[in-house]
Amino acid sequence: MKLGRRTFIELAVGFAAGAGAGFMATPVNWKLMDDMAIWTQNWPWVPVPDRGAVTQADTICKLCPGGCGITVRKVEDRATKIEGRVGYPVNDGGICVLGTAGLQLLYGPWRVPAPMKRVGKRGAGKWEKISWEAAIGEVVGKLGDLRNNGQAHKVACVLGSDQGTVAQLFDRFLSSYGSPNFICTTSSEDTYELATGLMEGVAASRAYDLEGADFILSFGCGLIEGWGSPVRVIQAHSIWRSGNANERATVVQIEPRLSNTAGKADQWIAINPGTEGALALGLAHVIIKESLYDSNFIEKHAFGFENCAFAGKTCMGFKELVLNEYNPDAVSKITGIPGSKIVSLALAFAKAKHPLAVWGRGKGTTSGSLYECMAVHALNALVGNINKRGGVSARPQLATRQWPEVPQDNVAIAGNRMPRVDGAGSGQYPLTRYLPDRLPQIINGQNGGAIEALLVHEADPYYTTLDSAAVAEAFDRIPFVVSFSTYFDETANQADLILPNHHYLERWEDCPTPVGLRNPVLALLRPAVSPQFNTRHVGDVIMEIGRDLGGSMSEAFAWESYEALLEETMGDKWDTLQETGYVEEKGYEPPAWGKAFQTASRKFEFYVTAFDQAGMKMKEDQDYLPHYEPLEPEGDPAAYPLTLIPTELMRLADGAVGNPPFCIKTLEETELKGDELFVEVNPKTAGDHGLSEGQPAILETPRGKAQVLVHLFEGIMPGVVGIPKGLGHQAYDDYLAGKGVNANSLMGVVEDPVSGLCATWGIRAKLTRA
Amino acid sequence: MKEAHHDEGHGHEEGHGHGTKYKFGMVIDLDKCTGCGACMVACMAENNIPFRKEDTNNRLTQNFWMRVYKISNGLPFPDTEISYIPRPCQHCEGHGHHAATPCVSVCPATATDYSEETGIVSQIYTRCFGCRYCMAACPYHVRVFNWWDARWPKGMEKYLNPDVSPRMRGVVEKCSFCFHRFQRARNKAYAEGRRELREDEYQTACTQACPAGAITFGDLQNPEHKVHKLKDSPYAFRLLEKLGTNPKVYYLSQRDWVRKAADVYMGEEGKDVFPG
Amino acid sequence: MSAEEEKDQTVAAGEQEEASEEQAEEHAQGEAKGEPVEPGTWRFLIPLAAFFVGFVSHFVVGWVALPVLLYAEKEQPIDFNHQLHVEELGECEGCHYFREDGSFSGVPKLDNCLECHEEAMGENPEEAKFVAEYVEPGKEIPWLIYSRQPVCVFFSHAAHVNMAEIECLICHGSMGDSKHTRPYQYNRLTKYSRDIWGWNIAGMAESGWERLNRDDLAEAGDLEPARMKMDDCAECHEGHKGKGYRDACFVCHK
Repeated sequence: MKLGRRTFIELAVGFAAGAGAGFMATPVNWKLMDDMAIWTQNWPWVPVPDRGAVTQADTICKLCPGGCGITVRKVEDRATKIEGRVGYPVNDGGICVLGTAGLQLLYGPWRVPAPMKRVGKRGAGKWEKISWEAAIGEVVGKLGDLRNNGQAHKVACVLGSDQGTVAQLFDRFLSSYGSPNFICTTSSEDTYELATGLMEGVAASRAYDLEGADFILSFGCGLIEGWGSPVRVIQAHSIWRSGNANERATVVQIEPRLSNTAGKADQWIAINPGTEGALALGLAHVIIKESLYDSNFIEKHAFGFENCAFAGKTCMGFKELVLNEYNPDAVSKITGIPGSKIVSLALAFAKAKHPLAVWGRGKGTTSGSLYECMAVHALNALVGNINKRGGVSARPQLATRQWPEVPQDNVAIAGNRMPRVDGAGSGQYPLTRYLPDRLPQIINGQNGGAIEALLVHEADPYYTTLDSAAVAEAFDRIPFVVSFSTYFDETANQADLILPNHHYLERWEDCPTPVGLRNPVLALLRPAVSPQFNTRHVGDVIMEIGRDLGGSMSEAFAWESYEALLEETMGDKWDTLQETGYVEEKGYEPPAWGKAFQTASRKFEFYVTAFDQAGMKMKEDQDYLPHYEPLEPEGDPAAYPLTLIPTELMRLADGAVGNPPFCIKTLEETELKGDELFVEVNPKTAGDHGLSEGQPAILETPRGKAQVLVHLFEGIMPGVVGIPKGLGHQAYDDYLAGKGVNANSLMGVVEDPVSGLCATWGIRAKLTRA
Repeated sequence: MKEAHHDEGHGHEEGHGHGTKYKFGMVIDLDKCTGCGACMVACMAENNIPFRKEDTNNRLTQNFWMRVYKISNGLPFPDTEISYIPRPCQHCEGHGHHAATPCVSVCPATATDYSEETGIVSQIYTRCFGCRYCMAACPYHVRVFNWWDARWPKGMEKYLNPDVSPRMRGVVEKCSFCFHRFQRARNKAYAEGRRELREDEYQTACTQACPAGAITFGDLQNPEHKVHKLKDSPYAFRLLEKLGTNPKVYYLSQRDWVRKAADVYMGEEGKDVFPG
Repeated sequence: MSAEEEKDQTVAAGEQEEASEEQAEEHAQGEAKGEPVEPGTWRFLIPLAAFFVGFVSHFVVGWVALPVLLYAEKEQPIDFNHQLHVEELGECEGCHYFREDGSFSGVPKLDNCLECHEEAMGENPEEAKFVAEYVEPGKEIPWLIYSRQPVCVFFSHAAHVNMAEIECLICHGSMGDSKHTRPYQYNRLTKYSRDIWGWNIAGMAESGWERLNRDDLAEAGDLEPARMKMDDCAECHEGHKGKGYRDACFVCHK
């Protein structure tokens, strides 16, 4: 039969209808429809997290000096969440925004996956993976050559802290190698330690009994913005804010900008930036004049309050200086705060039961002015709260076992005798231990040759040091840079070799008492997860480099491994540490006044005699006393009519660790928009300069220039511009790099005349329409 | 401040066969809240909330379940004051009829529902087809839409929490009061032969993380839970109370202007509230 | 004109048209011998036959071929003898236990196996393979899990086993009596295990709950695993809906 068109259609239609009906008579069509619906819910690129047994691992967060206890929640071998450790003496269950995001740093693309050797130009981000043997071999070769050529003292280490066994290992490494250049980045802690050393004669960290205070006078401290051990301070803040109006503590915040701390304070006093020291002395004036000071402490345990005999002459005491120089009118002129306000604040402070004056701008990342710190400390002494409940004390560390003396050969002895490259501890600055911020200037000044090799661990000086242009130039003049960074941070990006350390959740390490804590605590980092990449513990690496350099250096690192060293060093505390993760000296009480002070006079010294002991020649009497010495910001006020100050935000990490994506996400839309950063300007100032909300503008300082957006904020003093710290990264990756401007690039280092530490609080600036 | 409807909707204490009924809610002390953002990040980490580099501070595309808003009293320098308002899903109960929860009443897919057992407003991602009516209906902007498939940088998917399913493109999501934590706590109770949960057994991730202890979470109708007393404080208020959504998130502040800012005032009404 | 006639006429008209087209075709091909197509009473059989062929073929495809095509099959990495282990170790809970936090451990990890199998205990080649391939290198066995629910599902074993006192075999069948592992089949589209939808392509398999009321379970012998679709859960859980209880979705979905 011929297949006609009609037949064809009949067949086709018949077949199709039959097929349809046949299919409909089976369950498969319904099944396929169901399967398809399910299929749309399971795209292969949407990850399905594996289930499994949930376990907890307790360790310590190392993202800031806060030293919080954390509990890592794990599903099988994956870390899935970081939570605050309940019952831990620092943070009892609380956690901060950065600590919570720690897993993004653990698993993120910014991890250095293996030892890396630079193949492209510095900073180009071109790397070649090499073996650990090759990487260590390169470092040993380079350092060996320098040592053989009598240039051992031109090797420097920059670390984020000098506390704990890893820092001690670096110190030991340099001592046995023959370089005095063990350098740590500095903060307000360094200045406070210096002030404590000078006025109390003890080498110890400062500690505040925040929880016991009922009147907190904060000189620009970002108390709830990452100051001190952030979670602990926020918890103290909640204690101040608990109970009814009578039970609540009073918080007074002194700073030019309405920070969160100021916003939460009972009173915010806007002050001309950089004049905090004058205010402290103005308050002291009122307290002394009204005889509201603690006469018991002042008469029996203080030196130099009244005029006194020292070095064979009668010297002016603190009382006379303050009464003569810092009356409310004079201070009002400097600070811009009405005299009546100064008087009432001083009275309220002195009459409170447990008044406490706290010092350290922002998060305390900048060292600051020594005299300003001393002035605030003197205020605490006046109300007699040194070593008292609700006061300030000098806190020792828990003792660990000492290591055998460093064996030194002739090269080491010769090298160690050379002066430090940063000039700390001798000459102009005999009191200071580290002066990292001076390095760029010194290196650039000598036109190279100051440092031949630089080892960097848990610090990001390339990003955090002020005056980025000078820093970049200085790095260019250092022929060999080794980074031990876990992440591709700015400094690692500029290194020749990266020998990546384990992430803090992957390693053993001791963690001494966190900053500002009253009771000594020794804690232990215990690995929560196994190493995710081909990384090695920096302790093991530095010991291996030492041993490979041979001779007396091998003897210096006789330990089998870092873990063995750690166990030995912790001594009798090891078992407790391994089991519970920390040792706390619970009933710790700071020494009573009679025994507390180790100064020449065995008293609290308003008049600091230690300057003479250190061989520093002070010109006038007031140079021995806390006084106000204005640190003028850089720049000509005529060319730069505004004052730029950095602002530090809790949600924006501005130290050695870059802000993880979660934290970047939490920034306000008035802080960062897309890749553009906002600066805060008072609407009045903005009006004077023809600027409006959201407008692009050029921010220029004597050190740099950047395009920014303008945010009008009533909470900032007219004439002042606020710029957030922590943005403008070039390293890490797309989630952080290229967003905003690095505030450090717009400011220069202003050295404190006594300590040499960086005391920059701002810089003159101008803001013009873009 | 408007009078809080504390007593409304309390008539559900009797069981439904499984014994226990809860009405979970939150009290957030704004005087303690420091605006630090730990709650936001804890929430993102707990609930597998994605992030994209393009979304930095783009209100339209950013994904937050818990968002901390900054408010100001609007006065000029130096009388300016600021405060922060953490805003999770308010888990509105509405009044009487449960469908009065604004989002639930408009969802054509029953992808979101009000649970009578827990008082939690649920969101089922696989059921949602992305019409976003609920987003329009929600007066608190707690709901977010997945404009893109969530992608984690290579290796980062390792931290994902298996208790919460990662969402696909095209669906709406929001705060669940960490319902999976309730499930886990209940699971544990069941394994121990209990039906009742203790107050500390079920806490949301934000409550747990808050370093200031500003967030308190619990059963609003259980007198032994801290929230029960806190919500009756004279300083307690809720957001947009006028709308009658009857939310289960309460706020505390001793500052008048903060309490007043919680409601929307129109024209003349607002004159005394915001003199600035 | 009757309806019949009208139809005929229409058909005829259609044919004429068609015929002319056919002629044209034939000319084009250079052949003109085709028989004229006669309208006949048997014609209705053509579509009918086609319908029948289509029906039968697709009926067969739907019932027989597609179910086979839709599922892929994998063998378990080790042929595991449940019966032997149950005899030695007792009830299911010996290996499939509740963890301290109330979660269900599911398939044992290598560590559990190592408690006995540090070295081969017998002479079974499967055991030897297990020791060589997994114990010695310390590798987890990639078991294929028949009853794995997708990521959007939350299921509490504690609620069902501890509180509702449902026996394992109600849902999982008499797995404990098996001497060999059966092949793992999964849906090529959804990637779900075939056990979830049930092995009967019509979805007519028994759900666990239906078995709850059966007295003959003890003697049932080889009981197949029950279907675990949402509908099966809803048999109990949707019951609440009738009472105005509206938690159904969030109880099981995440």
